Amino acid sequence: MASISIPVQKRQSALLDILTTVDHKKIGLMYMVAAFVFFLFSGTLALVIRLQLAAPDMKLVDPGLYNQMFTMHGTGMIFLFTIPMLVGGFGNYMVPLQIGARDVAFPRINAFSFWLFVFAAIVMEGGFALGMAMQNPNLASNAAWTAYVPLSTRVFSPQAGMDIWLFGLILSGIASTLGAVNFVVTAYAMRAPGMTTWRIPMFTWAMIVTAVMVLLSTPVLTAALAMLTADRNFGTQFFKSSDPRLWQNMFWFYSHPAVYIMVLPGMGIISEILPVFSRKPLYGTKAIVISTILIGLLGFTTWAHHMFVSGVAPEIQRFFMFTTMVIAVPTGVKIFNWIATMWKGSLVLKTPLLMVFGFLSTFTVGGITGVIQGMIPIDTQLHNTYWVVAHFHYVLFGGSVFAIMGGFYYWIPKMLGKMLNDTLGKVQFVFMWIGFNLTFFPMHILGLEGMPRRIATYAAGRGWEIPNLIATVGAFTIATSVLIFIINCLTLLRAKPAPADPWEGNTLEWDTTSPPEEYNFKKIPVVTSDRPLWDRRHGAAVQAGH
Amino acid sequence: MNTTKLSVQSTDPRFNPRKGVAGAFVFILSETMFFLGLFFMWNFYAVVQGAWPPLSIARPSPILPIINSGVMVVSVIAIAVSSRAIAHDNRRVFVPALAVACMLGLLFAAIQIVEFSRLSFGPGSNNFGSAFFFLLFFHVARVLAGVIFMMIVLVRALIGQFSSQHRAAVTACAMYWYFIAGVWYIVFYTLYLAWPTR
Repeated sequence: MASISIPVQKRQSALLDILTTVDHKKIGLMYMVAAFVFFLFSGTLALVIRLQLAAPDMKLVDPGLYNQMFTMHGTGMIFLFTIPMLVGGFGNYMVPLQIGARDVAFPRINAFSFWLFVFAAIVMEGGFALGMAMQNPNLASNAAWTAYVPLSTRVFSPQAGMDIWLFGLILSGIASTLGAVNFVVTAYAMRAPGMTTWRIPMFTWAMIVTAVMVLLSTPVLTAALAMLTADRNFGTQFFKSSDPRLWQNMFWFYSHPAVYIMVLPGMGIISEILPVFSRKPLYGTKAIVISTILIGLLGFTTWAHHMFVSGVAPEIQRFFMFTTMVIAVPTGVKIFNWIATMWKGSLVLKTPLLMVFGFLSTFTVGGITGVIQGMIPIDTQLHNTYWVVAHFHYVLFGGSVFAIMGGFYYWIPKMLGKMLNDTLGKVQFVFMWIGFNLTFFPMHILGLEGMPRRIATYAAGRGWEIPNLIATVGAFTIATSVLIFIINCLTLLRAKPAPADPWEGNTLEWDTTSPPEEYNFKKIPVVTSDRPLWDRRHGAAVQAGH
Repeated sequence: MNTTKLSVQSTDPRFNPRKGVAGAFVFILSETMFFLGLFFMWNFYAVVQGAWPPLSIARPSPILPIINSGVMVVSVIAIAVSSRAIAHDNRRVFVPALAVACMLGLLFAAIQIVEFSRLSFGPGSNNFGSAFFFLLFFHVARVLAGVIFMMIVLVRALIGQFSSQHRAAVTACAMYWYFIAGVWYIVFYTLYLAWPTR
């Protein structure tokens, strides 16, 4: 068999290595570290927001700063944490390993899109941070993450911060589009011999659909952002006199699929963890794949349900109400399949599985409230209330953060070669789950009681005090759980080394050392089923006469 | 030097020639969505505004765009000939044809810039002007990107990096140029030809 020789050790400084590496694993880890930093940053903003809302008539931050804070909380969590963490971090690290490749298809484009993302993030957060430091309110955006026109036009948002924010957002969109090109081509052209379509691991499948969604939706947002930037700076008149629904259509054409961009990789992580910790094959593998694809397709047909009160023709409203409800079907298929996977399995109750429970118990609630508010009359009532905030945090915190945490506990042994402490992980899970529900469940009630989103404070006597106080307590409980996770990461310094396959996994990433060498596999594995490692373990056991 | 031996199979995915072409295809998909976004904007105005293009705007003369459409046709034929030539290892046709396609791309961009200055309305006139200029501007930006792409391929061709076995970049470049040409005809039709009779 032919072979090539590569140098074992490259002698260069760690800093130079970080700046010049094109290794998908290092880039993946850098994405994760960067995204986690923005998670902490945006989470801290959320804590301040919760403190401000803890009691009526609080004056912790002034309303202008408050607007900036929830804007940066939203954009930070979406564009700088969830998407880069799941797509850039887990996707980069795991997709080549799972398909038995030595790197992504275009390693240099991969490095380029990482550094572009870092630059975009610095631009986006930098304006806000600089404004905070210099007491200058003009350096940040305060038009919420939706940046609706005319609020975001020069007339109502004259500050430079809006332009800084738009520039950062355009760059981060380009970075994630380039990353998506990489993933689609990697999964298409780089699979190990024998890895046919139905043998592609579930997380990789989720990443393929996610990447296609990024590819198809992000450019439309980029077009809208370019129009807004030109309106603000170059005297064009896209939004000056025309209908505000133009922006809303183009914005939500990206931003509704973005919800699935943030949730599908999480669902992929769940589909990886569950069979391993249930000691059973995943129930209905093909149904899971097909439902992923269906969610991807239907995700593009629901955007106008964000605009029911913006003046949309009734027949169009009905169409979007219908599609919004239909998308619950493939999601439901997944949830039933996951439950059926656990059914009569011998569950291994370690932290990754607990995080899966966290995902299932919270995301399902978010999915159901989504169907409820997809109905036109209910949406008309609940639009722009805290109900919506509750709903999308159940979807995005429940669906993404629990999956990300599960992914950390599941894959950090592979990525760093050290085991996280399982007991601390369980404590973290308990804090996170309780804190999550304390924070976001009362928001349903607040929404039904009529509390609008994005208000800096409220008067006493409307029945909003107690739920708000509970939510604030919950937010700090979540913060405690994140602190426990950080402590757990610090214990990695003295943790015991992880074996190549600590969980008895099914997929190819467990077929190499922990952490993998730069080239991933000495010999590219040949795949004979959708669970190559399970086959090898049990095939060997059968041969040995067990 | 210390080295590690890695096995390389004939099926080793690292050497998969499909990835360059697949990458171009996927990238073109995302570019298509960008222009779909802009065309959505155009049609949105047409639907909500009633009179579209606005009555105050006179229909621009399509002379230069018609010339440019011809330039684009020849350029596309040239790059198609070039790409077929390298598939048969015919370097004598490959390099000149590529150079012709590249020059015509530059000519297209130059004529387009003349057209910008010739129009009676500007990007700041009203939302029609903005939309009109945006579509032309982002298209000509792609033309320039395509020309740069062709220049890089041309330099690599002159060094002799391409053969019938190794020509993914040529194929990708040609695909992108076909895409730019396709977008041009839609832009041209929408902006210059599809005017209601008044």
